Amino acid sequence: MRLARLAGAFALGVSVLAAGSLAASAAELTMWVRASGANAAQHLVDLWNTKHDDKITLTVIPDDQMVTKLATGVAAGDVPDIISFDLIYMPDFMKAGFLEDLTDFLNADPNQAKVAQAYKDLASYEGKLYGTGFTPDVSILMWNKDLFKKAGLDPEKGPTTLAEVHEDAKKIRALGGDIYGFWFSGACPGCNIFTMSPLMVASGAKILPKTAEDEPLQGPGVEEVLQFYRDMWSEGLIPASAEADNGQNFVGNFKTGKIGIQGAGGFLISDLKRDVPDMNFGVTFLPGINAGQKSSFVGGDVVAVPKGSKNLDIAKQFIAWQLSDEGQLEGLAKNNILPSRADLSKNQYFTDPRVVTTAEAIGLGYVPWVFHFNDMVNSNSSPWIQMIQTAVFQGDVKGAVATAKDAMKSIASE
Amino acid sequence: MNAVRSRYIGLLYVAPAIVFVAVFVAYPLGRLVWLSLTNASLLGGARFDGINNYIRAWKDATFWTSLGFTIKYTLYITPILMGLGFLAALLTAENTPLKKLTRGVIFLPVVIGLGTSSLLWWWLFDQQVGLFNRALIDLHVLSEPIVWFTHAEVALWAVIISVVWKVVGFGMILFVSNIQGIDREINEAAMIDGASYWQRVGRIVLPLSYRTILLATLISAIGSMLAFEQFYIMTAGGPQGHTFTSVYWIYQNSFVFFKLGYGSALSVILTLIIVLGTAMQIFLTRRRERT
Repeated sequence: MRLARLAGAFALGVSVLAAGSLAASAAELTMWVRASGANAAQHLVDLWNTKHDDKITLTVIPDDQMVTKLATGVAAGDVPDIISFDLIYMPDFMKAGFLEDLTDFLNADPNQAKVAQAYKDLASYEGKLYGTGFTPDVSILMWNKDLFKKAGLDPEKGPTTLAEVHEDAKKIRALGGDIYGFWFSGACPGCNIFTMSPLMVASGAKILPKTAEDEPLQGPGVEEVLQFYRDMWSEGLIPASAEADNGQNFVGNFKTGKIGIQGAGGFLISDLKRDVPDMNFGVTFLPGINAGQKSSFVGGDVVAVPKGSKNLDIAKQFIAWQLSDEGQLEGLAKNNILPSRADLSKNQYFTDPRVVTTAEAIGLGYVPWVFHFNDMVNSNSSPWIQMIQTAVFQGDVKGAVATAKDAMKSIASE
Repeated sequence: MNAVRSRYIGLLYVAPAIVFVAVFVAYPLGRLVWLSLTNASLLGGARFDGINNYIRAWKDATFWTSLGFTIKYTLYITPILMGLGFLAALLTAENTPLKKLTRGVIFLPVVIGLGTSSLLWWWLFDQQVGLFNRALIDLHVLSEPIVWFTHAEVALWAVIISVVWKVVGFGMILFVSNIQGIDREINEAAMIDGASYWQRVGRIVLPLSYRTILLATLISAIGSMLAFEQFYIMTAGGPQGHTFTSVYWIYQNSFVFFKLGYGSALSVILTLIIVLGTAMQIFLTRRRERT
């Protein structure tokens, strides 16, 4: 009896020690995510934490502070184990040497091959891979079916060319009052690279220069798309407030049900379902000049490991896991978030065809690989937004494009 | 021996202040000047670059345009703030319950953050849902709503209105404390001599508020020369970059374009301009005071 008790106590001691050593071996990881991608990242991290002994704590960084925070963190040797940020900063961060080389690890992962091409392109620098897709967003064209119906248009058929967008917008504007055919944020550079540039790319244009020798704003699509916007503006199909909107009202007007058509992000689908559940709206690809032309801008966040991460191996495990079927479907799709793997655009959770269309847009979308993206595009003084404002609101399309070309080349040469 | 000793003791007394200034003013300023002589990037790396950043600043049309815009903003808003602040102080200087309440109401926006108030006004000025347009239409000032941020001049006035609402209470409080500090007997003597209200304001209150006016003007002018949040939130530099202030342009270069070295050079130039402007203002005011 005493022996049995002793054996029991020994067994208990061993199990406690084992549990203790197990607990000691479980790591606590830190991850930074920008505010815009925090919701999606939180779903993934929560799921990871329920399934793994190594836990991840998410820290949300305001969008416009991510670069400063990472730069000072790298300089001070105080970085998180994993980082997720706006994919557009990838070229600058890779060049600056902020990120771990993940080439061998990612190339060995069969799921990496299925990730949307735009992410793979953007995370490559001098033959090496530094990250992969994480929480995507992509631009699409939305139309208000209720307004289409009132205007005598087929509510189930979205526009498939720029000319159709124009014609539909005219008919919707004819409803009168404060109902407008089209909306875009005329003073928001980011909104327009997201929703206007794909119209140009779909029409065969090339927008930004990768090097100083590269010619920017090439192809007839650039001028034609600007002229298309100019015409709609001159005809009063767009609300006057579009000229001054710096993005704070990017999707707000569409939610009021008074806008017929607008380019937006996939995020708007769940926003509309939540905020205006009665609104009937459709989703299609951003079209080009001719029928069959379509494109989108692949945005959202990439995931990478900063140089100096104290848990490199577990960080890699997390990256591999989030690319797995479990991460993509249970972590993202189940929560109405688009997966970064193009092969999962159709899945058991996406029962809404509008979401499937959006997910498919990731596969055909583009993202520009350039340094100085902020200078060329994102800044409020960028040649990109100056070109749009001069062309659309002042009508000098050719002059605006010529000036922007020179400015972009000058920035690319820095 | 005693003199030397007392000098050391004196130094000991001021040592904390010297250390404070050295750590929080001299070192950052020195570092700023050093950075301005490099090609430092926010993404790391800095190489000595001589005065290239200053040469570049000389040729940077946007910087000079933004500086011109900032000076214009300062010249517009400073007299408005001083005038309205002084008038509000005249109206509320006495300590009756109603005037105390009025002072509190006018001062209330001062405690709101500038970012918050700018966002609030951005919505108030909105063409479609903003109450400001609605009020102007109801008052028959406008026939239809206007888009406030489409034209630089209109956008500037929209920002001025929002900042005046936010800041005017601060000047008022300074003036109130000054007016309340004026000896009651001086006013009473003037009243016995038959001086009207405005004569007393012009001949007694204003001259005796000279130092407060100088202080309030300096604070207001320096604050306006460093304007950033209100334009960042309300105009985002638009339309077409016409409402960039100097600090906004420095921010753009340093944190959006990652050019820390160049941003530092612009900061040094702006600091020098503000120091020179302030010195000139103090010099002119003192000379006037002496005459």
